[in-house]
Amino acid sequence: MTVTQVESPPPGAPDAATPESRWLERLDGVLAPIITVLLAFLISGVVVYLTTRDLGDTLETYRAIFRGSGLSWFFELGGHDIGVPFSDARVWFPWETDDIASLAAANLQQTLIGWTALVLVGLAVAFAFRCGLFNIGGQGQYIAGSTAAILVATELPDLVDLPRVLLIVVTILAGMLAGAFVAGIAGFLKGTVGAHEVITTIMLNWIVLWVATYLFAVDGPFQTEEGGGAVPSSADVPEKAKLPVFWGDPLLQGLHIGLFVALASLVVYAFLLNRTTLGYEVRAVGFNPDAARYGGISVARNYFLAMAISGTFAGLAGALDSLGWQFRLDQTTIQGTTIGFTGIAVALLGRNTAVGVGLAALLFAALETGTASRNLDPEIFPPDLASSLAIIIQGLVVLFVGAQFVILLLLRRARTRSAAGST
Amino acid sequence: MRRLATRLPRGWRAVAWVGVLVGVAAALSSLPPITIRSPVVPVVIGLFAFTVGLGSWIRGERRIGGYAMAAGVIGLLIGYLATRSSVGNLETVVVWGALLGAALRYATPLLFASLGGLFSERSGVVNIGLEGMMLIGAFFAVWGADVGGHWTLGLLIGVAAGGLTGLLHAFFSITLRADQIVGGTAINLIALGLTSYLFLRIYGNEGTPTGISEIPNVSIGFLDETPGIGGFLDDALGDQNLLIWAAFVLVLAVWIVVFKTPVGLRIRSVGEHPRAADTVGINVYLTRYGAVTLSGMLAAAGGAYLSLGALATFDQNITAGKGFIALAALIFGNWRPFGAAAACLLFGVSGALATALQTYSTSASYLFEALPYALTLVAVAGVIGRSIPPAAVGKPYVKQ
Amino acid sequence: MSEPQVVLELRGITKRFPGIVANDAIDFDLRRGEVHALLGENGAGKSTLMNILYGLYSPDEGEILVRGEQERISSPGDAIARGIGMVHQHFMLIPVMSVTENIVLAVEPRREGILLDYGTARERVAELARSFGFAIDPDAKIQDITVGQQQRVEILKALYRRADILILDEPTAVLTPQEAVELFGILRNLQREGMSIIFISHKLNEVLDIADRVTVLRRGKKVETLPTAGATEEELARRMVGRDVVLRIDKGASQPGEPLLTVDDLHVRDDRGLEKVRGVSFEVRGGEIVAIAGVDGNGQTELIDALTGLTRPEAGRILVEGSDVTGASARKHFELGVGHIPEDRQRRGLVLEFSLAENIGLHDYRKKPYARLGWLYPKRFIERARRLIAEFDVRGGGPKTPGGALSGGNQQKVILAREIDRDPRVLVAAQPTRGLDVGAIEFVHRRLVEERDEGRAVLLVSLELEEVLSLADRILVIYEGEIVGEFPPSTSEEELGIAMTGGGKREIAA
Repeated sequence: MTVTQVESPPPGAPDAATPESRWLERLDGVLAPIITVLLAFLISGVVVYLTTRDLGDTLETYRAIFRGSGLSWFFELGGHDIGVPFSDARVWFPWETDDIASLAAANLQQTLIGWTALVLVGLAVAFAFRCGLFNIGGQGQYIAGSTAAILVATELPDLVDLPRVLLIVVTILAGMLAGAFVAGIAGFLKGTVGAHEVITTIMLNWIVLWVATYLFAVDGPFQTEEGGGAVPSSADVPEKAKLPVFWGDPLLQGLHIGLFVALASLVVYAFLLNRTTLGYEVRAVGFNPDAARYGGISVARNYFLAMAISGTFAGLAGALDSLGWQFRLDQTTIQGTTIGFTGIAVALLGRNTAVGVGLAALLFAALETGTASRNLDPEIFPPDLASSLAIIIQGLVVLFVGAQFVILLLLRRARTRSAAGST
Repeated sequence: MRRLATRLPRGWRAVAWVGVLVGVAAALSSLPPITIRSPVVPVVIGLFAFTVGLGSWIRGERRIGGYAMAAGVIGLLIGYLATRSSVGNLETVVVWGALLGAALRYATPLLFASLGGLFSERSGVVNIGLEGMMLIGAFFAVWGADVGGHWTLGLLIGVAAGGLTGLLHAFFSITLRADQIVGGTAINLIALGLTSYLFLRIYGNEGTPTGISEIPNVSIGFLDETPGIGGFLDDALGDQNLLIWAAFVLVLAVWIVVFKTPVGLRIRSVGEHPRAADTVGINVYLTRYGAVTLSGMLAAAGGAYLSLGALATFDQNITAGKGFIALAALIFGNWRPFGAAAACLLFGVSGALATALQTYSTSASYLFEALPYALTLVAVAGVIGRSIPPAAVGKPYVKQ
Repeated sequence: MSEPQVVLELRGITKRFPGIVANDAIDFDLRRGEVHALLGENGAGKSTLMNILYGLYSPDEGEILVRGEQERISSPGDAIARGIGMVHQHFMLIPVMSVTENIVLAVEPRREGILLDYGTARERVAELARSFGFAIDPDAKIQDITVGQQQRVEILKALYRRADILILDEPTAVLTPQEAVELFGILRNLQREGMSIIFISHKLNEVLDIADRVTVLRRGKKVETLPTAGATEEELARRMVGRDVVLRIDKGASQPGEPLLTVDDLHVRDDRGLEKVRGVSFEVRGGEIVAIAGVDGNGQTELIDALTGLTRPEAGRILVEGSDVTGASARKHFELGVGHIPEDRQRRGLVLEFSLAENIGLHDYRKKPYARLGWLYPKRFIERARRLIAEFDVRGGGPKTPGGALSGGNQQKVILAREIDRDPRVLVAAQPTRGLDVGAIEFVHRRLVEERDEGRAVLLVSLELEEVLSLADRILVIYEGEIVGEFPPSTSEEELGIAMTGGGKREIAA
């Protein structure tokens, strides 16, 4: 016979939502992440202060990180003109785009390259969240995507001679498919035998990592000498498979068109969730699988689909990175990436909304570029410490986001107190 | 003796265990010192083990039957590959004593972290922050030994730092009721950032100084005098680190605590049905706090072994995923101390083989590294008898 | 005759939850060796009062006296220390552990100071069970024993802790009638041993059967304490409900048409593989309400799940308007005209985070005009929701209000609106008024009768006899997975009650 586990009793029926209270709830949704981020920066500020032992230098460090992120570009106003794509015309533009003249422009390009991948991995985590699944496997899905893209881009031209656009499209699709496949395994296992997705995605992360390492390691099946780096690596992506750069120097990691793919993905994500029957099913399952089943929705199918779509986003990120700026894979790159975990931070901080993910990704991408060692003045802050600092800040953000309801509670309590005080 | 006899497996379970042994024999048949050269032998033995496993699997003995099938297939593959290689090669790679010794060294940090995770998860708190807790332990142990001048102090400081990390996880997941997986992820990130930061800040690019007081090895001189297997024993156990021996003791101790003491009963009850525990007067929060803190301390001890015991140095991200293998071992071992220990040893053997294989083929050794994760994936998928976690794991408890 | 000794006294207990006073200045006393029943409808405040006594809630006002001493009970541990034991409605047992482990938890015998002395523990448990005549294997795992045995383990838990005051929260709700009889035997035994027992229930016959005195609660207030000797069910019912007349709805005679739902020799197993529905056959015609009455847990849930496509039946056939739907998906069922008002509206009937508009679209979100080629048209969801909110008088929100923000009655109206608006041929209503206030109950009842008069086949599954008697045109009684009799609505509650507990099997008129 079954022994019923009792959950805590439901709280008293909440008051009917007035337009005002709903507006306040939305405000909280914006305030809480901001407070979270401020708190994380404040605490890591203590770490910086302990290092620099000077309050001025601490503030200066944050200022330097901001400058290094390239976001200062937006403040470098002037009278400039830029070329209109596909024509000889030039038009007036308020910001300097020549990155040799403006260091900020070059940095901003880096930040936006990072943003492209972070948005997509963030969406991968967020989409699964909306189906009630914790996709901790963005890491593995991203690596699977970049591995597949590298393999296709380096091997396919030897077999068939495809036109440039087609080659790029096929390569990117391969990356998406690989990501979908890896995540799909976890979704399938969740749907059929109920294996917890956190455990399966962690296992898949490491399986993918080692298999990819195997492929490109010394005497691995796809390792070549041509790569020319110090470590064993894959062959280089041929010129024709590289994504076109539309801002900056293609030889110096200019900004590639993957940016628009990421922007489009944000839109696709929002519409997919809110305006399609698939999104309706995914959200229903995420909120209440029992009710979804009662409504005629197949829960198992949606677990699978949601994970596969999540993996598609992450695989896309890997493919874009491979074709956009990395151009080859090696052991260090495969094992060194932490993008899957940053993606979790992005999704959590962005509260699984398209706009939120876009903004959170910008924050973390800027942080990463801003703390890159070349952007910091050693007089102010030791540059080699900065990337560790960035990871600490990420960790703190995740920690506080996890406890966000406490922040919300404090906000609400403060509000009721002030309301009580005013009457 | 009679009690022992009643605990021995019976029926299809016993048959399945025989299948496991036969599977192992398939691999052994073509490895030193036997080295049968015909590929037919390991293939036949392996297939036989698989069949036995399948038979008992069909008869309902899912878990062990599955093990037997896996053992059959892996034994067949290893045995077959060995016959394709020269005897000379085999004898350099497969030195049983050295392999076992390496396996133990590989398994020890996993074991500490795994047993740590066992306390946390048995009490109902998911701990995917084991990796970070190990890393914290690894750094602070070296730092403590460097500053304090002796490894005992290092170990103490490392374990204390791990305990504090556990406490942090406990505070967020129990008191603040934050999502435990989010909390664990945060711990991993913070630990990675913080240890790298402190390491670079304190030791700079030169790394930790040489001559830091290490956790000593225990030399057992008389082992090599054992007739027949003296060389083997000496290679395997003759000169192993103190913490490796401690790990053995710990497995037994944890088993006793968890299954044979009132404390263990209470920890398990809190992890299975916290409200039931609450209604008989057990303090759910306190129990969970204790278990999670302890899990941080044990994981940190595993980290301390990595830095202060095995290498006498620290490097950024020295754990490189060992915390996750420990988590895998915990799940693979079905949240039981001996199960987790067996899984750690199994993963240790595969890790040792991977290292030994490197002289042969670097890339193939990487493929081997994926084995623990693949096995665990299969285990949670339920193909091999399902791993079932404590009922209340991952759910914050709200007192009425 | 000496004055009976009072072992427990509650004075002026008040407990407020947000928006509701669960207990309003309640006085209560318990004498040594008596069974004192606490009677009231769902939500009258019985469980809250007992949870306060057991230290699970803390009262806002009032005091507790145990054996004349004023006590502060702030945790279950405090209650146990004062000799108070409680058998919760949902058992507080750990399924994967043994009977012994569950009983000794937190008061374990030890050896060598730190080790759990399992041998001694088992001995003591076996001894205790023997002394009260319980047949229980101390080494059995809780998940392997029956609900009745689990309840005995709960009682043993209290006895092991030397409790002399025992609280039982709705103990018969989960029991079969035989098990209930056995339980009453046990309670009388305990009473003779000097145990004082508080018995929470909303079933009148039980209270009169077992209790010496009864305290009636209504809406958080104490109505009266009276001896059961000489009291009648009607008298207690009036005090419990607060009004004389039993609500009976006005409805015309039914005009049954063609059979719309035909069930033929249906067998269903639950998720643990136990056969819960064992060869059920019946039909429901258009224009009639057929009620399935029975004690909870006699296969109703499994029957409903099979009829609505949520479980695949083991054997048998289900026909909706002549077409075979046996084993088809839930979607197939409602597309063929089955509407389903589920038993648990919060867990199953609504997605609480979804807006009302989205909730109303739960079956039709894929169909035109709400979607085309996988693309949703939210405005059309909202238009439909606005229409139904007006038609069904849903209060407390508009189309964009989340489902969780409504009161229970209004949530139920939303579900009714959704199911009825789809114009089903067969409407399966499972406990449609559970936990609703009188106004909402009336609305639901009226609406079900209207749907009958529209020519739909209505199958009502309810645990409330009153509801069954006032709504049904025909009553089928289910007992242990079988239909044991068919009755007209003029049957007395008593006669139905006998059938529901397995007494007096009758032939079903085919």
